[in-house]
Amino acid sequence: MRAYNIVIAGVGGQGVLLTAEILGNSALKEGYDVRVSEIHGMAQRGGSVVCDVRIGKRVYAPTTPDGMADVMLGLEPIETLRYLKFASPQTLIIMNTRSVKPVSVLMGVAKDLSLDDITRIINRYYDNAILIDAMELAMKAGSPIVQNIVMLGVLASTERLPININTLKESIKQLVSPKYFELNMKAFELGLKTGESYSSFRH
Amino acid sequence: MADSKTLLSKNVGESCLLLGNEAIARGAIEAGVKVVTTYPGTPSSEIADSLSRIAKEAGIYMEYSTNEIVAVEVAAGASLCGVRALSSMKHVGLNVASDALITLAYTGVRGGLVVVSADDPSCWSSQNEQDNRYYALLANLPCLEPSNSQEAKDWIVYAFDLSEKFELPVLFRTTTRVSHTLAPVELGVIRERSDHGKFVPEVKRFVMVPDFARVRHAVLIEKMKSIKELSEKSPLNKIVREGGKIGFVTSGASFNYTMEAIDILNIKASVLKIGLIHPFPEQLVKDFIKEFEEVFVVEELEPYIENAVRSSASALGLIRINGKSNGFLPRNGELSTSIVVKALAKSLGKPLPRNLVNEIPFEEIQKSLPPRPPILCPGCPHRASFYAMKKALKGAQINCTDIGCYALGVQAPLKIGDLLICMGASVGAACGMSKVQERPVVAIVGDSTFFHASIPGLINAVYNNHRIVLIVLDNYATAMTGFQPHPGTGFTGIGDQGKRVVIEEVAKGCGVELVEVVDPYDIKQTCDALKRAIEYLGPSVVVARQKCSLLAVQEKRRKGESVIPYRIIKDKCNNCLACIKVLGCPAIYLSNDMVMIDADTCTGCSVCAQVCPYKAIEISRINQNESV
Repeated sequence: MRAYNIVIAGVGGQGVLLTAEILGNSALKEGYDVRVSEIHGMAQRGGSVVCDVRIGKRVYAPTTPDGMADVMLGLEPIETLRYLKFASPQTLIIMNTRSVKPVSVLMGVAKDLSLDDITRIINRYYDNAILIDAMELAMKAGSPIVQNIVMLGVLASTERLPININTLKESIKQLVSPKYFELNMKAFELGLKTGESYSSFRH
Repeated sequence: MADSKTLLSKNVGESCLLLGNEAIARGAIEAGVKVVTTYPGTPSSEIADSLSRIAKEAGIYMEYSTNEIVAVEVAAGASLCGVRALSSMKHVGLNVASDALITLAYTGVRGGLVVVSADDPSCWSSQNEQDNRYYALLANLPCLEPSNSQEAKDWIVYAFDLSEKFELPVLFRTTTRVSHTLAPVELGVIRERSDHGKFVPEVKRFVMVPDFARVRHAVLIEKMKSIKELSEKSPLNKIVREGGKIGFVTSGASFNYTMEAIDILNIKASVLKIGLIHPFPEQLVKDFIKEFEEVFVVEELEPYIENAVRSSASALGLIRINGKSNGFLPRNGELSTSIVVKALAKSLGKPLPRNLVNEIPFEEIQKSLPPRPPILCPGCPHRASFYAMKKALKGAQINCTDIGCYALGVQAPLKIGDLLICMGASVGAACGMSKVQERPVVAIVGDSTFFHASIPGLINAVYNNHRIVLIVLDNYATAMTGFQPHPGTGFTGIGDQGKRVVIEEVAKGCGVELVEVVDPYDIKQTCDALKRAIEYLGPSVVVARQKCSLLAVQEKRRKGESVIPYRIIKDKCNNCLACIKVLGCPAIYLSNDMVMIDADTCTGCSVCAQVCPYKAIEISRINQNESV
């Protein structure tokens, strides 16, 4: 079995690392070898963040080779595009449509890219894309901070993931503070349910 | 983040997911380390940070030392008394510590002493990407390089045994991709060692006056000869795959890319992985490569292994060796599986796998994206200080900045930063600039950087009367690396209350006559102090003191206090965008062309309200719905 590669992209503070850790822990629980890459320090602080989760019988490198992502989990549209080189036309792209505007755009020193532009690019090159308004679902769950868990729920629903849903739930319980467990579970379930409606990706 | 329970677990054989750095911490516990010292720096910080959390429980003395050389000296002191000690730092930290380390190789140690250097190929969080394997050559010390978390844990134990057996410090080199990768680790036995030692004097060994040092250098060379023999047979250096007509020699993170690249390209090859990289196992390499017509050396940065392989091959006749010198791989930046696959495919004349052929114009797409570099956080007091500097000094000054979050001030719109070299360099460089040109010169350091490396520079400015302004941005933490304490916080590495060293008192004690302390959130007060400092004819110090906004918000939340955000008064705002264009605070944004403040991220620092020319920003009332 070659490594199963998940690339998670987003903005510092969106919970990219937590999402990756949940996936990594779950993979370990199911007896897989796993690598989760993280970059700390200067690369945080509201900057662009990318994190890989690689699952398999034997995994060596922490990062996904170009074009070899099985899933691209984009917590933010611009950041999804920034790391597209890890995806191939067959990659399943799950993207949150809620953008976090870069300060460069807010200050008017860089040109913004509209969601329409972004979807056009994705639909042009990629066969399998699921676009999710994770903010709306997260608010339904109770807080904008669980957009990442909504997205994880969508990923879990696609059945492309070689990990059991219950194992993911266990890892969430283990890794989020008990105070926020209910909130995260709600978000995960909402993601699952929404993802299930994209039945074309079930196989 | 691994919890304390995992790091101290006695369940031998239990498998858990650990960062390379956490694995090193666990390895230290298994090896019975009792003294841990560090100066934090990415990508090394989590090693000592995780040990600081469990130090008391594990009976370990842990400290954040003022800088890396002090850290190594403290660890060495304990080791000389027979106690196992570990000191961790980032690659450039070893530059600071090298003075002690190189002579410690002569004296040798007693209790095991391991110095961990976390290198940062690609400069993810650093000012350079130096290759610290060369310190092993320079100091002539054993050096180990793991390729994943399991090896990081296991080999730390090996390193301590090696260190104690030969009474030498051992270097342990990781890179970002090993330190910051979560991977499974099977836990081993925790060995109990005493935290108490005894110093037995041995003058000819420990007092490195020239006569004794000459002798000890010869002793070191003999010890390293023995370790070289061990290196030839060490389980850390081994052939992990056999077959084919080409051979690979590799180590550390590069080993992982090599294995994947070979599989992706479906190449039949043999792979020799070097874990004990100094002293280099020449004979092992010679025996390995003589079977092949072509050898590939896969390593990041400098041709360290390549040069050693070439030297091993020199007696063997014609073997084609691919590495840095023939352009097979670049000498800068980290490697990846993709880079190694592409280089190999080119070299062997193999077609690239389909996934690596660019069918999609990524570069074009990337160029169309707005950049998102790391930025100063909402409410960051450094932003306030920088704004005051721009307002008070009107850009007349040269800004020598330094290592820390405040280096981010170089970005628009603040653009504070004309020079950045290394910890503390801002002060010395400012002195030199002030002597040879007319523009006022400002040195900017953080609180932790002040203690780490700025005090000798400041004393130099006083002694030689350099007209510089030293601005100390005191946010009560070593913020960039994860809020570690430092002498100015008054808390020790294990959370105990210690004695607080007060920056302004140090400055006065160094002989600085104009010392001011300001709250950077008070723009007028800060501007006034800066003006006085810049007009002063000698060295002056302005301490801008305000807690890191991330910490401040965290503390308020913990205490159950609310963070009251600011808001725009719509009637007064004329959308001049001064707040956005001058401050670049991520809490302020445009929505439908109207300026808004995000109530969730605003920390209530009030700086934007002071900047607004129309007085259109005010603190929110408790119930926002009742306001206009």
